[in-house]
Amino acid sequence: MSDQFEQMIQYIKRDVMRRPDVQLDEATPLVSSGLIDSLALVDILMKLEDVTRTRLPAGKIQPKDMDTVQLMFATAAKLGKPRK
Amino acid sequence: MTHALFALTSELTWYAGGVVFVAAALVARRTTHRQIALLLACWLFYATWGVGFLAVLVFSSIVNYFLGTALRRRVTPARLWIGIATNIALLVLFKYGVKSLADDAGIGAMARLARPIGISFWTLQALSYLFDTYREEDLDPSFLEFCLYMAFAPTVLAGPISRLSSLLPQFRQPLRPTTADVSEGARRVLLGLFMKLVVADVLATGWGRAGGVNAGFERASAGLGGLDVWFLAVGFGFQLFCDFAGYSHIVIGAARAIGFRLEENFDRPYLSPTPAAFWTRWHISLSEWIRDYVFMPMTMLRRGRWWVYTSLLSSMVVVGLWHEAGPTFVVWGAYHGVLLVLHRVGQQVNRSTSYRGLRLGNAGSGVMTFALVSVGWLFFRSPTVSQAVSMCRSLMTFRSYGELSLPFSFYAVTLTVAAGWVMASISGRCLELVRTYWQAAETDPVHPVALAPTPVYVTAIDALDYFAARRWWWLAPILIVIGVVGGFALTDLGATPARTPFMYTLF
Repeated sequence: MSDQFEQMIQYIKRDVMRRPDVQLDEATPLVSSGLIDSLALVDILMKLEDVTRTRLPAGKIQPKDMDTVQLMFATAAKLGKPRK
Repeated sequence: MTHALFALTSELTWYAGGVVFVAAALVARRTTHRQIALLLACWLFYATWGVGFLAVLVFSSIVNYFLGTALRRRVTPARLWIGIATNIALLVLFKYGVKSLADDAGIGAMARLARPIGISFWTLQALSYLFDTYREEDLDPSFLEFCLYMAFAPTVLAGPISRLSSLLPQFRQPLRPTTADVSEGARRVLLGLFMKLVVADVLATGWGRAGGVNAGFERASAGLGGLDVWFLAVGFGFQLFCDFAGYSHIVIGAARAIGFRLEENFDRPYLSPTPAAFWTRWHISLSEWIRDYVFMPMTMLRRGRWWVYTSLLSSMVVVGLWHEAGPTFVVWGAYHGVLLVLHRVGQQVNRSTSYRGLRLGNAGSGVMTFALVSVGWLFFRSPTVSQAVSMCRSLMTFRSYGELSLPFSFYAVTLTVAAGWVMASISGRCLELVRTYWQAAETDPVHPVALAPTPVYVTAIDALDYFAARRWWWLAPILIVIGVVGGFALTDLGATPARTPFMYTLF
């Protein structure tokens, strides 16, 4: 799991925020702190589906479920359905 | 005369009843007694706009409570869709259908049910309850609590659009407002009244007989110069902001004074550096609602950049439609959707090509965003799309910029309000920056001002904190004096602006 956390953190820093130097860990609030916007959140959701090899159901996920990297993986574990 | 007096007495009696019930809620020991007292106060307050309206609100509360209960018993997409369809049907029926039905059939009594005040707001609250229930959030309101959520007086007329997850725990706690709550609540109410009664109303109707935004838009059909159109767009933008943000201050403050915390609805929107940032600061409760319940679910249905942009555009059209099912609002929503998409595409192009040609900086980007948002207000305010397009055409016709046909006082008032608002908005931030800079002097040995005597800094920082925390107490009177003196100097001494209703209670 920690590898997946690290992979996601690196993705957010490098590809979403474009700030590799920013301090980020699995408990850093992303949405509520305004670090990422809704469009960036969509990119992160898609990455989360790829990393966890799941499909997240539309209508069940809200930004507050994706506020930290830890929460993202908890949400994927709770709601994600295995990909066919 | 007798009828008017009776109506006034009757309305005052209802308000007095509401106050008595709020007082009862504040002293009630049992949760149920407190909730009953609050609900009666809220229903009485809402009924002052019309008993027919209250009937529609109660009906919607009953229907949605049972829809939610059915959904909680068995969570299926079909049950959610039934809930969504029912709410949209009720919204369309009572906001538009009943009025035309009553007109067609000539039934006056039926017209009393048409366009219940706040229906667009409490319908979204009902829908968010259904969506959250579908998401299997831990929500278990009693019927009493759900009715209170729907009718809650501080939110029922024009938001902020609240979530049950935020209000339910507060409904279940004793109401124990502290002195700080009452003081902060009173400050917000006074600030809201100033924004609405002084700033928004003066902008709307102008000072005295001179004419303001309303008269300007009426004249627009006869043709206006480019500068006039800019002034109208900016003037209306500030009028709408001061009207709606003022309203939000009043209700958030009133709720705070009796111990409730509501979400903020505005955060210095006209200082936004990008269109995307604007929508995180303007009517926050609506934009978050649309993000959570329209944009996110829609965007997750498919993959691909084009689908994300389609979802964004569609969500903004829904924002427009929510205000009013008319072409001007659809165009306004679509315009903002296009702005958001173009901004995102620009960001992507910048990133993928490392293009560094057009760099506006934060201030330039902020001015550009403000100008684009102001152009959007022309569609929001104009009665027809063709009038808004014609006003946009004036903006593009540079030779028309020399034609100034609006009253001189309108330009003065608009400039005063815009400058005053920017001063009020950035003064706190400037004081914060100075404070941070000075505070660094205490810990940083190589700081340029580190050698100065410390007591001076302590006093200065205390003074900065004092003025930063109370800037509306010293800045607002300055602005009022500037506005009043300016207004008197420009027009009749005895003239006062006319009163206008809160604009968002009309949606």
